[in-house]
Amino acid sequence: MTAVVLDGAATRPAAASTAGPAEIAADGLVKRFGRTAVLDGVSLSVRRGERVALIGANGAGKSTLLRCLVRLVEPDEGHTLLLGEPVGRLGRRALTRLRRRVGFVFQRHNLVPRQSVLTNVVHGALGRAGLLAVHQAVAPAALRAEAVACLDRVGLAALARQRADTLSGGQSQRVAIARALMQRPEVMLADEPVASLDPAAGEEVMALFATLTRQAGVTLLFTTHTMTHAIAYADRVVGLRGGRIVLDAPAHPGLAPVLERFFE
Amino acid sequence: MTEGAVARAPARFERPGMGGFIAWVCMLALVIASLRGVGFSPGRFVEGLPAMAAFAANLFPPSTERLAPILAALAETFMMAVAGTAIGATLSLPLAVLAVRRFSPHASVALAVRGLISLFRTVPDLVWALFFVVTVGLGPFAGTLALVVDTIGFCGRFFAEAMEEADRGPQEALAALGAGRSAIVVSAVLPAAVPTMIGTTLFSLEKATRSSVVLGLVGAGGIGMELEVAMSFFNYPEAATIILAIFALVLAVEQASQALRLRIIA
Repeated sequence: MTAVVLDGAATRPAAASTAGPAEIAADGLVKRFGRTAVLDGVSLSVRRGERVALIGANGAGKSTLLRCLVRLVEPDEGHTLLLGEPVGRLGRRALTRLRRRVGFVFQRHNLVPRQSVLTNVVHGALGRAGLLAVHQAVAPAALRAEAVACLDRVGLAALARQRADTLSGGQSQRVAIARALMQRPEVMLADEPVASLDPAAGEEVMALFATLTRQAGVTLLFTTHTMTHAIAYADRVVGLRGGRIVLDAPAHPGLAPVLERFFE
Repeated sequence: MTEGAVARAPARFERPGMGGFIAWVCMLALVIASLRGVGFSPGRFVEGLPAMAAFAANLFPPSTERLAPILAALAETFMMAVAGTAIGATLSLPLAVLAVRRFSPHASVALAVRGLISLFRTVPDLVWALFFVVTVGLGPFAGTLALVVDTIGFCGRFFAEAMEEADRGPQEALAALGAGRSAIVVSAVLPAAVPTMIGTTLFSLEKATRSSVVLGLVGAGGIGMELEVAMSFFNYPEAATIILAIFALVLAVEQASQALRLRIIA
């Protein structure tokens, strides 16, 4: 499949992206902040097990799109199907149930600072275990063991008792990934997961993140400013400019010159 | 540096607008009117200094005749403060959660709880003490109940503000992974608000210690009752002992609470 690049115009997702069951399907999403349309009719489809990178300059609408998919931000127009559920029509409880199946990794990791690393990872089970997962001290043995196993996967089991606000940026993001794995998600959304890290730590964490999500077989949609990450860790690259999708192409090294145009 | 750059530099102070100027004039007029309204007179104060000195002379030397009952009353005062603060701060926690709109089950519940906390705060503790003396009779229990209400008024407001100001990032992360409202409050909001809540509780203990002295004046227990009796019988040396004992207690509580606060915030 060749790259589809349209300057200034929205485009339908590339043909391959709609084959097979779509776990994420957005149709005509519009989100305005004041008079500015941050998303201007975005349609996107991501198949089960697919890994898609969303690229675009600051303000292009990448983070807003991810947040609209799970209604952390309410879209003004458009429809979204996530894991077959019509997100916009769900009540509060049904939305909470759906979110349990969707991992979300934030740029600023968003750990609870005064709690231990282990408690932060146990929080990943809040959706299914409720108040039993508010703190590692009250969590059942099985949850604690699972949390330690998740920490092991990101190489931080030794820091389980350390307070989250004493970790480095890279360690914090690894803990955030462990928390997301603890959730046992079917879909993973990641908003510039390594943007706050230095290049070496960013490379390391991104590689780990990609490996773990591939092993878990989850569908992955992540935003990034790093072209090499988009090409190396995604099956497909979707480019946003001015709130519209202007690129939808399979990820391959030859795409680099096209991606560069998004940051000029 | 060129002269042009100096000329282009902004003024050191912004000229106030007409509205700002009028507001300043009104505030100044209010202060002057207030001073005149209360008959504020430095001259009268200076004239009264000899009377103050005579009164102070009557206080010395402090009497140690009834030291044991005074210390017992002081201990009772401290226990009233500790019990009132502990119960008040504990009850403040659920009320504060309900007072925050985002965590409250309904806007009307948040409004009602905020109103209740405001009522507890705005009615003076002395009035609550009178109310509870009528309810449960004279003694420290009435005073403790008054301190509970006063503490809820103080802690309820500041606990709620601490929860409102807690970093939204972790809350958003837990909401995104499907955590319910109560789980978010317990897992992300309370840990963020705990240092402020402990600091507020310690301030509340200091406040309750000072208040519990005054509550005794209306028969609600503690060392205030001893002070009231000593002053009524013009036993100024004993009153001096009581005042010094109160000073030592309040100072000790303030120092201990400040040390604890610094340790917790660090």
